Amino acid sequence: MVTTDTVKEPLRAVGGFYAMCLDTLIAIPRRPFAWRELIAQTWFVARVSLVPTLMLVVPFTVLTVFIINILLTEIGAADFSGSGAALGIVTQTGPVVTVLVVAGAAATAMCADLGARTIREELDALRVMGIDPIQAFVVPRVIAATIVALLLNGCVTIFGLTGGFLFSVFFQHVTPGAYVSGLTLLVGLPEVATATAKSALFGMAAALIACYKGISVGGGPQGVGNAVNETVVFSFMALFLINVIATGVGVEVAK
Amino acid sequence: MTSSTPSPKSVRTKRATDGLTRGLHQLGRQTQFYARTLQSLGDALVRYRGETIRLIAQMGLGSGALALIGGATVVIGFLTFAGGTVIAIQGYSSLSGIGVQAFAGFVSAFVNVRLVAPLVAAIGLAATIGAGATAQLGAMRISEEIDALEVMGIRSIAYLTSTRLVAGVFVVVPLFCVAVVMAVVGTRLSVTVTYGQSTGVYDHYFNTFLNPLDLIWSFLQAVFMAIVIMLIHTYYGFTASGGPVGVGEAVGRATRTSLIVSSFVTVAVSLAVYGQNGNFNLSG
Repeated sequence: MVTTDTVKEPLRAVGGFYAMCLDTLIAIPRRPFAWRELIAQTWFVARVSLVPTLMLVVPFTVLTVFIINILLTEIGAADFSGSGAALGIVTQTGPVVTVLVVAGAAATAMCADLGARTIREELDALRVMGIDPIQAFVVPRVIAATIVALLLNGCVTIFGLTGGFLFSVFFQHVTPGAYVSGLTLLVGLPEVATATAKSALFGMAAALIACYKGISVGGGPQGVGNAVNETVVFSFMALFLINVIATGVGVEVAK
Repeated sequence: MTSSTPSPKSVRTKRATDGLTRGLHQLGRQTQFYARTLQSLGDALVRYRGETIRLIAQMGLGSGALALIGGATVVIGFLTFAGGTVIAIQGYSSLSGIGVQAFAGFVSAFVNVRLVAPLVAAIGLAATIGAGATAQLGAMRISEEIDALEVMGIRSIAYLTSTRLVAGVFVVVPLFCVAVVMAVVGTRLSVTVTYGQSTGVYDHYFNTFLNPLDLIWSFLQAVFMAIVIMLIHTYYGFTASGGPVGVGEAVGRATRTSLIVSSFVTVAVSLAVYGQNGNFNLSG
């Protein structure tokens, strides 16, 4: 009994999640499209994510550049620190930081909001009125998170490269010209395209997980808290998994 | 009858200073909370030992849906495994670009220990046991259970937050071991199995450049981060307000604050401990 439950429960959750993803996909082209909600959500996600992103970029960049520069100085190639920084920031730090913030800040808020509406039975009320909650709530949220993740990735990359420049030049005494000219040595269009695609995928996955957890919540305040907790955990896991696959594909494509 | 009041002078200045005062107030309250949590550590260990032990078990194995997938241990193991794999993919392709892919083992020993394991473990800790603590405490606050505890004469900070802090520090020890092992195994598997580098080459460079001192430092770093993460998450849970949404939002705010703080801790510790040198001699 217990064993069948422990097997069935996660399977059911995975199945429910897939079903909701399919519903969302089908609901995207369906009219009426919730434009107002989309704009409100995009603004909301951008507002809660921007400051934490910039706060998180600084330490991640400094760490990446610091460690790469130690390596490069050791093999006598400190002038290539720009290449190292660009590689680290564009391909890994940018998307990962974006996603940590979109999952940690935006997805949690979405899940809390939807979860609270679910336990107040607002979603059931919508269904009674003939409004599909997927179409009214989930679609705009998923699209908003995807767009904002895409845009944030750009911000993170710019901030990261600038921060890396400042750190390398003023703290680790790399020649500024060498840093700048090294930027494009290892990182070109394919890498940037992969990183952009990666962050869009991340944003979408985080929002889908948050919405699924939000609309399938049960059991009062503790339930909402747990749902948000699970959102964070599952979206981080999904993101790391996507990151492995996307990095592998990106490396092959860039060859 | 309501009497109308004249609008106050210099509204913008007032608004700006109000914001500042509120920020300072919050900072003060947080500091006070942290001080009281740390102060009550003795109580947690002596008087509430049963609760502490229960929390250790719960954090290690997880509760609710997380327990079904194996709790914090499996989550953090998975995250660091993925982190190690990414290091392998990115590192191997970059190294083979300049023809020194033999150094993949060295990159694993260096980057995994110093960067990936502590950072990813911190992310995992914040997401699993940290966010879980916020959710629990927030729900208790909303349903006025914390007030009930205080009415019964139980010291709520000692009983709820200090015990969680102690449990977090206990749990991080095995968790970080799992994190390091999984990161290293992740890199090794990808390099030797997927990319087909011979295990002898990989292990040689890995063992040569694995610095035990670095491992100990990153271990201490992880313990320190666990303390910071548990303090932040319990604060946000303990002060949650505004119904079920409030609990959810508190979890989100706590997660992003602790991510920022723990990455700053990583930077500070790395700069302070490792300095400009890598403790290795690659060029001989």
